[in-house]
Amino acid sequence: MMELPSTITPGDGAAMDRSARGRLGDLVFGMIARLAGWFILLVMAGIVIVLVSGGWRAFSTFGPGFFTSTAWNPISNHFGAATSIFGTLVTTLIALVFAVPFAFGVAFWLVEMAPPALARFIETAVQLLAAVPSIIFGMWGFFIVVPFMAHYIEPTVTRYLGHVPGIGLLFRGAPYGTGLLSGGLILAIMITPFICSVMTDVFVSIPAVLKESAFGLGATRWEVMRQVVLPWSRQAVMGGIMLGTGRALGETMAVTFVIGNSNRMGWSLFAPGNTIASLIALEFPESAAGSLKLSVLLALGAILMIISFITLACSRIFLQRGTAN
Amino acid sequence: MMASPKSQSIDAGGWQRGGAQAVRRRLVERFVSLLCNLATVIVLFVLFSILWTLVTRGAGGLSLPTFLHSTAAPGSGGGLANAIIGSCEQTGLAALIGTPIGMMAGIYLSEFAQDGRIVSLVRFVSDMLLSVPSILVGLFIYLIFVEPAGHFSGMAGTLALAVLFIPIVVRTTEDMLRLVPRAMREAAYALGAPGWRVILNVCLRSARGGIMTGILLALARISGETAPLLFTSLGNLNWSTSLNAPMASLPVTIYQYAGSAYDDWVQMAWTGALLITVAVLATNILARWWLTRNGSAQQ
Amino acid sequence: MNKIIMDDTTGRDTLQPALAIRNLNFWYGSNHALKDISLDFPIHQVTGMIGPSGCGKSTLLRILNRMYDLYPGQRATGEVLFDERNILSPGLDVNVLRSRIGMVFQKPTPFPMSIYDNIAFGVRLHERLSRTEMDQRVEGVLRRVALWNEVKDRLNASAAALSGGQQQRLCIARTIATRPEVILLDEPTSALDPISTARIEELLDELKQEFSIAIVTHNLQQAARCADRVAFFYMGELVEVDTADKMFTAPHAKRTQDYITGRFG
Repeated sequence: MMELPSTITPGDGAAMDRSARGRLGDLVFGMIARLAGWFILLVMAGIVIVLVSGGWRAFSTFGPGFFTSTAWNPISNHFGAATSIFGTLVTTLIALVFAVPFAFGVAFWLVEMAPPALARFIETAVQLLAAVPSIIFGMWGFFIVVPFMAHYIEPTVTRYLGHVPGIGLLFRGAPYGTGLLSGGLILAIMITPFICSVMTDVFVSIPAVLKESAFGLGATRWEVMRQVVLPWSRQAVMGGIMLGTGRALGETMAVTFVIGNSNRMGWSLFAPGNTIASLIALEFPESAAGSLKLSVLLALGAILMIISFITLACSRIFLQRGTAN
Repeated sequence: MMASPKSQSIDAGGWQRGGAQAVRRRLVERFVSLLCNLATVIVLFVLFSILWTLVTRGAGGLSLPTFLHSTAAPGSGGGLANAIIGSCEQTGLAALIGTPIGMMAGIYLSEFAQDGRIVSLVRFVSDMLLSVPSILVGLFIYLIFVEPAGHFSGMAGTLALAVLFIPIVVRTTEDMLRLVPRAMREAAYALGAPGWRVILNVCLRSARGGIMTGILLALARISGETAPLLFTSLGNLNWSTSLNAPMASLPVTIYQYAGSAYDDWVQMAWTGALLITVAVLATNILARWWLTRNGSAQQ
Repeated sequence: MNKIIMDDTTGRDTLQPALAIRNLNFWYGSNHALKDISLDFPIHQVTGMIGPSGCGKSTLLRILNRMYDLYPGQRATGEVLFDERNILSPGLDVNVLRSRIGMVFQKPTPFPMSIYDNIAFGVRLHERLSRTEMDQRVEGVLRRVALWNEVKDRLNASAAALSGGQQQRLCIARTIATRPEVILLDEPTSALDPISTARIEELLDELKQEFSIAIVTHNLQQAARCADRVAFFYMGELVEVDTADKMFTAPHAKRTQDYITGRFG
């Protein structure tokens, strides 16, 4: 790395030469690094511009009604975004309802209850679950979860909850197996390990003395978790949940297999539906270049991008405040 | 011998302190830990169910022809050779393109703080890119590359994967460079080394293990991506290694086969799913093992 | 040298112990950290524990409220008698134990909540108090630790905003609010400035009217100032225990002498 002899007896010229070379090297290196940084800005700007400009025709054709219309008719060229936005939000919400408690339970168990050797093993297992490609979840969902839902879960739930006023509406309809609930469940399985990893990291990073002080007052593990650890790590936990939400919103393959892919909107969680990502994946191959339908899909892509950016921005704010703590 | 200690409590209840409240607290604690145990068991059960399903359904198709023959029409045999080679080619090339760009951008974020606002902007945008739904990246490459060229191609798939790959490498490189002790940097500068040599020869070298791990994990991540390939490399039922033509890949083949009505295609989809999961998990385990080994070697 | 030199002139039999340790051994994994310790902590006295780093004094303190339960691979044998029970026995409710034997840590550890809630936290775990009763309890303990006048106007402010010395007094207040019988202090002033340290030491002198106190300290002067009895630990053994006066003027054991005259440690 260093040419020692020349440092010991540097001739004037050699020293000048070295410093000039060093400066040139820094200049070139700095340029390359900056170019790489700008390249990232360029790619992101490209994605935004391409999607927004591509979707412009759809936005201008349908106006604000695009967001509230549930139409999807390629023949008469009537399209609306409401159904797929609804499906995206509902499946993500279902995913969170299931994923957050499970992720918390596992993280709590890993940090406070598990024997250390077992904890390390199971933590790795959870992280590996997070690494499984999403198409595998889709396939597994399609061949295992969907029949299970159709034969066991959905008929049972309908029998017991279908007649309850109010929430009963959510659990009626034919037990297809595919549908919003199945989509949400698969997403939940996908994001649980992800949220769990964040929670475990956060719970481990709380200063031991703080926890010990609470235990020292006679608090149980649950009381320490609820009243000391969670308030202390609330922001970071929220950040982790938002990151998981972002994943669920944009997930394509896992959902496409189990959502049922139908442009319908209704109360029943058992009914087939679609999400923005699944709709794009299915309809894109059937959209001619330059068609209005293609523009609609790009507009949907732009909407999806905006939703996931909002989620990301929230998670950044939470995570930053969390680390500032 | 002296008396055994007796209670000195004023009126706090001694060992019965808390009374019914203490009992309730114990019950709540029991209940919560029961739920946590249950949650863990369920999550593990799901993981093993996935692995079990993959192995039992996928192992049947593991035979030599699977690795030697290309995909073929239903009922006429065939394998996954073109999908495997296509996946390797696209993933590998994406990593080759993405690694230098990602690493330089990561270096930019960690070492060029003097650029101030732009650095924070690049960091924020890189995080955005990391969380862009991958199907949108596919759309993007389709519009800027496939549509002008007039046809789907392996190159387009490679580019889409590279776009997903870069932000992961940026994040890892920056995080790992931040872990390099300030003293090590200063020691190198004190020897009169120019900035770029300090970064390349000292900082990167000491962060090597972590960055390698990150690259391996990123590789595993993109090798399972399906959505961005649907509109870029499309898939190809024939043997083709040309970047200028549609190219098969394991995830897309799985997607097409799993949804088909032919038993042998579904079987092949399971085999492909098993292959890709094993590859991804093995890479993950390797990366983690690498990190712990290097991590302990440095101490 | 292994024989423990017991003090037999202070009328040991007449001092009723709050806590009595009998033949205690402790292991961190395979590391035998405490060897056959027997020691009494008399009621309403301050018992100081001194010794070089790693001698086991903090370990001993953390056994007395079963804090070691939190960490796997740590294990204790022998007996620690408190209110007619062996607190090491597995069936014991550690939460009740910890409410009866409070602990204050080396660094102040305010919880991420308001000053008021920091104190109410521990109380609520064990008692159901009305709002007025709780207000009284909070005010009472804050007055005990001479913090009331400093914080009475900002009870709902975050405890993190207090100075280090105030935080440590808050932690002591939090501990006595659960009305323990014994208080354990693990080098409670090592992170504080001399003035804050002096205030805590004064406080200890008052608190022993009501509580029995065990304090681990690195600071020999502190032990001499605060403690009634002092125990000297070395390499996991209890070398000597005596009144503070005797310990610092005429220790029996050579190792004690060497330590308090600064020859090692």
